[in-house]
Amino acid sequence: MEKGEVLINHYGPLSYEEIGFLLNKMTSLLERYNFGITIRKKVYSAMVESLENIYKHQDIIRDSNNYQPKFSLTLENDKIDLSCSNSLLKAKVVPLKERLEKVNQLDKVGLKEFYKEVILRGNVTQKGGAGLGIINIAKVTENKLEFTFDDIDEQYTYFTLRIKVSLQNQNN
Amino acid sequence: MEPLYIEPSEFTPRVFFDPENSVFEISGFSRPENTVGFYKPLIKWLVDYEENVLAKNTNFNKSNLILNLKLTYFNSATSKFLMDLLMVFMRFHSKGNTVEINWYYDEDDDEIFESGEEISEMINFPFNFIPITPNS
Repeated sequence: MEKGEVLINHYGPLSYEEIGFLLNKMTSLLERYNFGITIRKKVYSAMVESLENIYKHQDIIRDSNNYQPKFSLTLENDKIDLSCSNSLLKAKVVPLKERLEKVNQLDKVGLKEFYKEVILRGNVTQKGGAGLGIINIAKVTENKLEFTFDDIDEQYTYFTLRIKVSLQNQNN
Repeated sequence: MEPLYIEPSEFTPRVFFDPENSVFEISGFSRPENTVGFYKPLIKWLVDYEENVLAKNTNFNKSNLILNLKLTYFNSATSKFLMDLLMVFMRFHSKGNTVEINWYYDEDDDEIFESGEEISEMINFPFNFIPITPNS
């Protein structure tokens, strides 16, 4: 396998059907590379949660073709990288950043406890979010999440989340 | 009471709640676009079942209820509703009915197995873990 091979690259609006299409594409590509069910399920979970986060939480800038949702899946020697970006109202940055920083501080046991706390307390929002997506990504991938917020204008920011699924010590 | 049957779709699981045999089953894949819209009616059906069937059972022997969960994948929003649904079964249990929860998983699928273990731990109720061998 080549280093840094981009398996999927998406830029543009993301419908629910499009998410399904990207997931099917990922599944057949990883099957072609003979990855086992454990790796495929980890990538699948991380991809569902990150793409559904974009679908549910993005704030679309109507009059711009820039800063559309972006997703890529890259195969490296020792890991699979997922990168996803979307525009977001700046008002949402603080709670999102707090949650990301919190999950990055927790170990496996801590993440499990945090997941339990949110699932038992949490309410589902009108958009169907249960506040569990980011915790689930961290729990499943067992790696720290990288993120950036890049200024677009006074009102909006462009949020990027980078997720790593390790290939070492896995039966793939 | 009429059974509840929902055909599976690309994003949603098959549901069969059979009040006659007291067997309740959810199987397949769960990533509904409208999680609330999919799972709320299931909870509502169970609440109606409680009022119309379980509450009217005046026999000394309470009902034996079997919940079969045969999920191959579910997203985090689904897990919240699974928890709500299981809490309804815990209420049935607390009212004297026997509840048996069977968690089926592909024997190679650690993710689903571990999710079942976590959920069982969260509700503090033992599940029967039943591996499914591929092609069986």
